[in-house]
Amino acid sequence: MKLTLGYVNIHDIQLSNESKVANGVLYVNPDDITKLVLEDEHLKSASVDVARPGESVRITPVKDVIEPRVKVEGKGGIFPGVINKVDTVGSGKTLVLKGAAVVTTGRIVGFQEGIIDMTGVGAQYTPFSKTNNLVLTCEPVDGLQKHQHEEAVRLAGLKTAAFIGELARNVSPDSEETFETFGLFEGAEKMPNLPKVGYVQMLQSQGLMHDTYVYGVDAKKTLSTIIDPLETMDGAIISGNCVSACDKNTTYHHLNNPVIADLLAQHGKTLNFAAMIITNENVYLADKERSSNWSQKLAKFLGLDGVIISQEGFGNPDTDLIMNCRKIEEAGVKTVIVTDEYAGQDGSSQSLADAHELANAVVTGGNANQVITLPKLDKVIGHLEFVDRIAGGWDKNTNEDGSITIELQAITGATNELGFNKLSAR
Amino acid sequence: MNVRIITNNRMVADRFKDSYTVELYDISYRDILIKARDCIHEGYRLLSHPLSGSVKPNETPYKSLLISKEKKSLDLDSLRIIEGAIATCDKFGQNRFRLTESICEDFMIIDLSLISGALSESTKV
Amino acid sequence: MSKIKIVHYINQFFAQIGGEEMADYKPEVREGIVGPGAAFMAAFGDEAEIVATVICGDSYFNENVEEAKKTVIDMVKKYNPDLFIAGPAFNAGRYGVACGTIADAVKTELGIPVLTGMYEENPGADMFKAKVYMVATKNSAAGMRDAVGKMAPLALKLARKEKIGASCEEGYMPNGIRVNFFEEKRGSARAVDMLLKKLAGKPFTTEFPMPAFDRVAPNPAVKDMAHAKVALVTSGGIVPKGNPDHIESSSASHYGKYDIEGVMDLTAETYETAHGGYDPVYANEDSDRVLPVDVLRDMEKEGKIGSLHRYFYTTVGNGTAVKSAKAFAAEYAQELKADGVDCVILTST
Repeated sequence: MKLTLGYVNIHDIQLSNESKVANGVLYVNPDDITKLVLEDEHLKSASVDVARPGESVRITPVKDVIEPRVKVEGKGGIFPGVINKVDTVGSGKTLVLKGAAVVTTGRIVGFQEGIIDMTGVGAQYTPFSKTNNLVLTCEPVDGLQKHQHEEAVRLAGLKTAAFIGELARNVSPDSEETFETFGLFEGAEKMPNLPKVGYVQMLQSQGLMHDTYVYGVDAKKTLSTIIDPLETMDGAIISGNCVSACDKNTTYHHLNNPVIADLLAQHGKTLNFAAMIITNENVYLADKERSSNWSQKLAKFLGLDGVIISQEGFGNPDTDLIMNCRKIEEAGVKTVIVTDEYAGQDGSSQSLADAHELANAVVTGGNANQVITLPKLDKVIGHLEFVDRIAGGWDKNTNEDGSITIELQAITGATNELGFNKLSAR
Repeated sequence: MNVRIITNNRMVADRFKDSYTVELYDISYRDILIKARDCIHEGYRLLSHPLSGSVKPNETPYKSLLISKEKKSLDLDSLRIIEGAIATCDKFGQNRFRLTESICEDFMIIDLSLISGALSESTKV
Repeated sequence: MSKIKIVHYINQFFAQIGGEEMADYKPEVREGIVGPGAAFMAAFGDEAEIVATVICGDSYFNENVEEAKKTVIDMVKKYNPDLFIAGPAFNAGRYGVACGTIADAVKTELGIPVLTGMYEENPGADMFKAKVYMVATKNSAAGMRDAVGKMAPLALKLARKEKIGASCEEGYMPNGIRVNFFEEKRGSARAVDMLLKKLAGKPFTTEFPMPAFDRVAPNPAVKDMAHAKVALVTSGGIVPKGNPDHIESSSASHYGKYDIEGVMDLTAETYETAHGGYDPVYANEDSDRVLPVDVLRDMEKEGKIGSLHRYFYTTVGNGTAVKSAKAFAAEYAQELKADGVDCVILTST
């Protein structure tokens, strides 16, 4: 496959009478968005706000973050199987509104997850303090079931991102980058002396608010399979995961998967990025055995020399991570795993819920239990009426000066297990 | 089906009491894990992951687990996983959330959804 | 802020009093710097001052631990310092153990920050790196410059009660406390680098070492202890006095098998420990404390156990590779089986 990403740099978002992209500014008419979003009968109201880097703004609870993109050449459209038809994506040309993001917020359950601070100490830990964010707050109709509510907000975000992406369809990009992947045999022929490297991505798949969709299919109902890494750049994988803010992969992360980016950067130079395997993180232990057996078989079958395995979430997935790592190593394929840690507030507890000696090459995104104090900010988008219900916070965690003391796990993307950040621990 | 459900979540008990063997206890999250560990010591197998869900053990009070009905010799994988879960639970310490009735209900719904997924049941909750 | 006051601890060798022959040297305190203190002072500049140096012989310290600790702590206390530095000890085993022991004691008793340094394989490292900040040094005193270069900045930070960063940033040995910090590259790029090294067979360092463990399924309980033949096996290094088979004090390459036919009690005259990783005083005084022959003889008499096996097996667990330990056990387990032993009591240190 061959895909060109055209980057349209966005350095500001303005609410306006007309929705358009001009001179690096994204203009959005809020009515366009609310009209689009309220087509869903499950939503009662929607509002649009803007949060820019450096502003004294806190967004919480964050559900998903999505980068607006539009497919201008090649088969299919963005978010196949959900927003567009299930055509196979990943080839042709896609425009990216770089520097912009759609952030969805709204209370689905009474406890809250996910903080994005646009300034202050918290901003250092979330990548979304550096993007211009169009924040969409949705309220459900009365009595809506939780799973319908979650789905409605998920789709509202994707629709909004697709709408905004569409605004850039005829804009000429500031820069372009082309990626190419090959079939197994063709790749091995072109790069006979380079190690064949794969990527095993574990997708969160445990249930309500813990799901991931691949071309619209619920990942917990899938067997481990292969996907072309370029497909992810067109939104083949989207997030339905709302829990564990620090180490969940938002749709933005899936679109900009850093493991894929860094493997592609070495593709043809030091390695042959031969294949990508996706697998899940189900609750049922027999599912874990089956899925990890399958990723082992695929890694072996594809003749890979080494793989990077990434994780998503806390606790349960530690077991999948260790199973995948152990079995793939036992098949003679070298592994590096990417995870994060819950080592306690003082850093002295055992970091993972599972372990194995074959997991001898680990990259960590840091200790999610680290305590930090976030300053009071001028404006809150979303809900912050009950700060003692922030995950990673606790009773009476609001200080007299209005600052709040929380663990890093409350911050969206802080200890990402795709290796999106520079944060680590020793 | 060769499964029994150990839970402290009445929503799970209500949903599955007619189709599965359900044991509902009025005990803490941690005590559910301990109960499962005791079963494992007796030779029952753990069938679902005790740390299901990304909601932390010091946040949700609810936990539902699947255990085999059939008793064999000690299953070391089950033991390793439950011991790891108990250690993780202890690491997080006391519940720090201020729980209201509606939050409790939300946690019950999530726990129900997680266990439903494990039972290959509909997740329409 | 006034100048930081430091008390420095060194051994007889670094005080230029003498080598092994002077290792019984009793604690002595001198005003100002002695020996390596000069290098520290140069590194501190105007920030800090070593107000006193405590000198103690390594043998004296290790053989009179409680007394030595008390004397040294009293000496340190008098100067009311902001910080205590011990060593660096490089690869000198007993010096390393002394540095770790006294640093830990000063920290606990006087409540002031402490710092020491030594080579990673010094037995004192494993014993104390989780208890006190310990800088990894080279394996000989030729690495003094390098050691002081790492220790001095960390010492100042500790004395000023500043936030201490991750081990890899500050140069101390990983102590089991996970500390967050920002790397230069993002995680995914580090993962790609690590995988390329692993594929090329080059050395790489994991960012999170897995906890070491080995799973052994327990055997069913022995039903009839009154008729069981019980054997003793230890990694605590108990050997006949003089260590006839020269079992190493650390990283043991072999194990020993010794006849205890008719031996009712292990005494200071007949047995000792070869282990270099823990305070040997109590084991040397009475080796039954590690290898309980006396108690088992009693039980044999009382009919609680059938008999005590004629031989015990021993090695030193101190830094001994898991692979070696497994190989030892695979061998002597066969002998134990052949000798009709029903159960084994394994003791460590």
